[in-house]
Amino acid sequence: MGTKMMYRIKNGKWFWTLMKYAILILLAYQLLYPVLYMISASIKAPTDSYDPSVIWIPKHLSATGFQDAFKTMKYMDALGQSLQIGLGCAILDVISCALAGYGFARYKFPMKNIFFACVILTLIVPTQTIILPYYSNMKYFNPFGIMSLISKIMGRDLAINLVGNKLSFFIPSALGAGIRSGLYIYIFKQFFEGMSSALEESAYVDGSGPLRTFFHIMLPNAKNAMVTVFLFSFVWHFNDYYLSKQLLGTRTRTLIVALSSLRVDLAALIGGQTTTDPIRVQTRIQAGCLLAILPMFLLYIVAQRKLADSIEHIGIK
Amino acid sequence: MKKKIPYTTKKKIYGFLFITPWLLGFLLFFIVPFIQSCLYAFQDLQTTDKGMVGTWVGTYNFSYALFRDTDFIVQCVNSLKDLITVPLILVYSLCFALLLKKEYPGRTTMRAIAFLPVIIGSGVLMDIMKQDVFSSGVKGADTVYLFSGGGLTGLFSSMGLPMNVIEFVNNIISKIFDLTWRSGVQILLFLAGLHNIPEYVYEAAQLEGANALEQFFKITLPMLTPMILLNVVYSVIDIFSDFGNQIIQMIYNTAFSNVRFGYASALSILYFILIAVVLVVVYLLMRRFIVRPED
Repeated sequence: MGTKMMYRIKNGKWFWTLMKYAILILLAYQLLYPVLYMISASIKAPTDSYDPSVIWIPKHLSATGFQDAFKTMKYMDALGQSLQIGLGCAILDVISCALAGYGFARYKFPMKNIFFACVILTLIVPTQTIILPYYSNMKYFNPFGIMSLISKIMGRDLAINLVGNKLSFFIPSALGAGIRSGLYIYIFKQFFEGMSSALEESAYVDGSGPLRTFFHIMLPNAKNAMVTVFLFSFVWHFNDYYLSKQLLGTRTRTLIVALSSLRVDLAALIGGQTTTDPIRVQTRIQAGCLLAILPMFLLYIVAQRKLADSIEHIGIK
Repeated sequence: MKKKIPYTTKKKIYGFLFITPWLLGFLLFFIVPFIQSCLYAFQDLQTTDKGMVGTWVGTYNFSYALFRDTDFIVQCVNSLKDLITVPLILVYSLCFALLLKKEYPGRTTMRAIAFLPVIIGSGVLMDIMKQDVFSSGVKGADTVYLFSGGGLTGLFSSMGLPMNVIEFVNNIISKIFDLTWRSGVQILLFLAGLHNIPEYVYEAAQLEGANALEQFFKITLPMLTPMILLNVVYSVIDIFSDFGNQIIQMIYNTAFSNVRFGYASALSILYFILIAVVLVVVYLLMRRFIVRPED
C-alpha cells in the first residue's frame, strides 16, 4: 500500500485520484440531495421554514408531518398491500420466467425465434396501449372463453371480477406476463445459456427428467439470476402506479397510489384549516414520500451488496 | 404396446412445455388485449348497462387524432424532443459505470448510491420531487439550497443576468435531476457489460503499448456496443412510458375522465406506432456499429 501510494504520488497520479473523489462526492451529493431534502423538510417545525438561518438542520423538530401522513395514507394497510403484491409477484415471476428462460436457452423447438421475438415485443409495447381491454378483461375475467363455457354448462352466470383483487397481479405474473416479465425471461435466458451443459447431460444419463433436472440442478445454480429477477420484480411491482391504480380499484391502495393522492387527501383531512399554508402541506408530503420509500430503503440497505454483486456477474450480453 | 418417441422429438416437446406458461400469459394478457385495442380504435364505444357497445366508425378516430386534435401532434413532438436526453443519459451512465468498475475504498458505498434511483425512483415520487424540491420554492420558504432553482435564481438575478438566461440555467438544473434519476438501470447494465469484457484483452493491449484512452476507444467502447443498444432502447421506452409523459396523461384522461374509449385506443395505437418507428430508426442507425465478440 505504502509503496503503491508513493508510486502514485511520484507519477502525479494523486491528482487524478483527487479529481476522481471530487467527482464521486459531487455525484453522490446530487443523487442524495432529494432524500436529504425529504428528511430535512419533513422533520422541520413550521416556524423553522420561515427562519432564514435554517438551511438543512432544523432547530425545532416536529413529528406532526409524519403523524398526519401516516394517518392519511393509512400507512400500515397500504404497506401490507404493497408488500403482498411485491412479494407475491416477485416469487411467481422468478418461477415462471426461469421456466421460460430455460426453455428458450436450452431447447430447440419450432418457431422458437418468433416466440422469443414476442418476448421482446411485450417489453416494447407500453402498458398504456393495451390498458383498456386489459382492464375490461380483468373485470369480466374469461380466459379463452372457459368461464362462459362453464356458465353455459352450469346454467348460471359465473362472472369473475378480478378488479380490486390481487389475483389481477398474481395471475399475469404466474404466467410470465407481469410488469416487465419479458426482461426477466431475457435475463434468465442469457444466464442459462452461459451455464455449462455438462451438468444437465450427466443428469440425463443418470436418468433424471427435464423438470427434475431443472429444479434440482439448474435452479440451485442460478442464484445470481434469481436474486436479480426477484429484487427487480419486487421493486417494480412495489413502485408501480399505473396498473395498481387501475386494477386494485378504489378500496385497496398500495403505498405509491396512496402517495400519489396524498396532496388531495391531506386537504380533506386538515379540512381547510391549514390548507392555505403550503409549508405545512409540503412538510406532510415530504414525510409521506419518506414513509413511502422507507420499506424499499431498508430492504436496499440489507440487500444492496447482494443485488449489485449478482448483477455485475450475471453475464448479460 | 407403447410407442417409443425419439429423443429429439421429446426434447422439442419438453422445450415447448417449458415455455407453455409464458405462452398462455402472452396470449391472454398481451395478444388478446392488443387485438382488442386495435379493434376498439375503429369503433365509437359507449358504456351501457349491458357492458360496452361499439359502433364501427372506420378510421374516424385516427383521422380525428391526426388532423383535428391539435393537442396530440403537439404532444408527440414534445415527446420526441424529450429524446434529446437519451444520449445524455448514456454518456452519464457510462461515465458513472466506468468510475464504479475498479476497486477502491468507498466503491461499494458509491455503487449503492448509484443504484438508489432504481430502488426508490418511482414515477409518482419523481413527480412530487419535481414539484416540491426543484420548484422555485414555496413563497416564504425560499431558503438557499445549492441545487434548488429558487436559490440560484436569486443569485443570478443579483449578478445581473438576463431573465431568459436564468430560465435556461434553471431548465438545465431540473434536467440534471431528471437525467440522474433516470439512469439507474442504465448504469447497472453498463457495469454488468464492463465486467463481461475479459481482463486478458486489456492486458494484451497494455503489452502492445496502448494507453488508457486507446484502450477505452478500441476495446471498451466496441465491446459495450450491444449494451449501448440495449440501453438506448430501454431509455427510449422509459421516457415514452413515463408517468409524467403528457401523451400518457392525455390517453388516460381521454379514456377515464372523458370516457372516450375508442378514441383513447386510437391514440394509444398511434403512440405505439410512433415508439416503434423511433426504435426501428435507432436500431438501423446503430446496427452498423454493433460488435458481437466471437467466443
